[in-house]
Amino acid sequence: MKKNFATLNYYEILDVTPDAAFFEIRHAYNASMQMYRADSLVSYSFFSLEERQEILNLLEKAYLTLINGKERKNYDKELIQLGILDNVGGKVGAKRSTGIYDASRQWGKATVLKDNKSTLKEKVAQNKRINEILSKQEISGADLKAIRNELGVAIEKIAGETKIRMDYLISIEEDKVKRLPAAAFLKGFIKSYLKCLCIEPLDGVCVRYMDGLARIGKDN
Amino acid sequence: MAHIWPIGGGKGGSGKSFLTSSLGRVLAGLGKKTLLIDLDLGAANLHTLVDVPYPVKCLSDFIRKKIPLLENTVLETPVPNLYLISGAHDNLDVANLPYERKVKILKAISKLNYEWILLDLGAGTSFNTLDFFLISQNNIFITTPEPTSIENVYRLVRSIYFRRIRQYFNAADFRVLEEEVIQQFGEGSFNKPDCIMQAVKRAHPEKSLQLENDFSSFRFRLVLNQLRKQDNIALGPQICKIIEKHLGFQVDFAGNVAFDDRVHDAVCQRVSFLDRYPYTRTAYDLRELSKRIVNSTSEQLLMRYS
Repeated sequence: MKKNFATLNYYEILDVTPDAAFFEIRHAYNASMQMYRADSLVSYSFFSLEERQEILNLLEKAYLTLINGKERKNYDKELIQLGILDNVGGKVGAKRSTGIYDASRQWGKATVLKDNKSTLKEKVAQNKRINEILSKQEISGADLKAIRNELGVAIEKIAGETKIRMDYLISIEEDKVKRLPAAAFLKGFIKSYLKCLCIEPLDGVCVRYMDGLARIGKDN
Repeated sequence: MAHIWPIGGGKGGSGKSFLTSSLGRVLAGLGKKTLLIDLDLGAANLHTLVDVPYPVKCLSDFIRKKIPLLENTVLETPVPNLYLISGAHDNLDVANLPYERKVKILKAISKLNYEWILLDLGAGTSFNTLDFFLISQNNIFITTPEPTSIENVYRLVRSIYFRRIRQYFNAADFRVLEEEVIQQFGEGSFNKPDCIMQAVKRAHPEKSLQLENDFSSFRFRLVLNQLRKQDNIALGPQICKIIEKHLGFQVDFAGNVAFDDRVHDAVCQRVSFLDRYPYTRTAYDLRELSKRIVNSTSEQLLMRYS
């Protein structure tokens, strides 16, 4: 008879080696969940309700400990003290890749732009030049660039925030009509651009931009 | 000495007889002298699958001492190298075999002179099935990817575990053990083989050591039958893993066998599926499975009855 599941260490629970990389731990966790989830065909009828819950709790705890670099280090230290893990010249963790997923990361502080939403809005409302441009009948790419410069936002930041390719953004701002994407995509791009700069109304400004483009197309 | 392979699976309709007959045909085709024994007592129909519609003698002739030697109940089948001990025409009370008769059959089986002996066991976890299952250390479990069938496989594995422990004790000792287990682990724990093992370890350390050696010498194999396209192909290995991790049995995954509607047609026409539809996925799976099983047999020991 094997050891009781509850007495296994976290590495044994997840079936990984102590030098497993973070992605391996995640894979192992997903694989175990497939086996132990309540709706899993594999463990159907194998456990009673309490047993399953106990196992799921253990899995969860094992995963959350091992996926977090700091807690994993502490846990390794515990295991070394208990003599379960050998500390071969501090090699534990030496081979590990760094985690792509940072467990201590806090959500909501992703970019500076998001933080500055309210200040940006204020700026848009107060700036005379921006209001002048926004009251125009047609808005060109150059106008958009002017607004961006007035607000002091770098084009790279917009590219980072909106995930629009830099060459498209430059083509838009410099009115290189031939290099622009198809209208359907362009509309979306313009809207995200405007949203990023907190300019309202989104639809209205976008329509006026597209009108301007249409006129340029006719003139040519 | 013969390789004896019991094939069981807990649930009815999971394909035990079909697998037995198919494996038998493949092995016979490889030139190995193969014997199929229908031990699904009381519901035998292996003879139909190997095209012996009117078996003239059967296992119960041996049980009732009409034929003194088990060798003489063997029937030839239309397939060269393939032989059969039928379970048809059994007496209506044969399903409830007394223990001495069972031991007699088990002894006789282990003395038969064939290269391969495949035992087709019945559904359920009656003592008959369990004892025939435990005759060899090479066993095949068969299941389908359905909760009902998987449930029964787990049940069967636990029952075998339980039965094996039981065989090490006489009735009085076992009752004492039962009381101990209930005292230690509470009501209902007697159904958990691992609790019993712990109690055995405490009360009879030498027997527990024997038992552990015994269990680790078993080589169970799992076949996942009737796998449809939409089913999870990783299911079999996962089942093996969970049995190994929580019950401590080493179970090797032997392979998937694809579902095919034409199996039904072949059975209805009473022809060999492998001959009638040799180029189907299912036939390919069955041939691969047989190859793997033939190659995986190391020397095996017969247990207790030889």
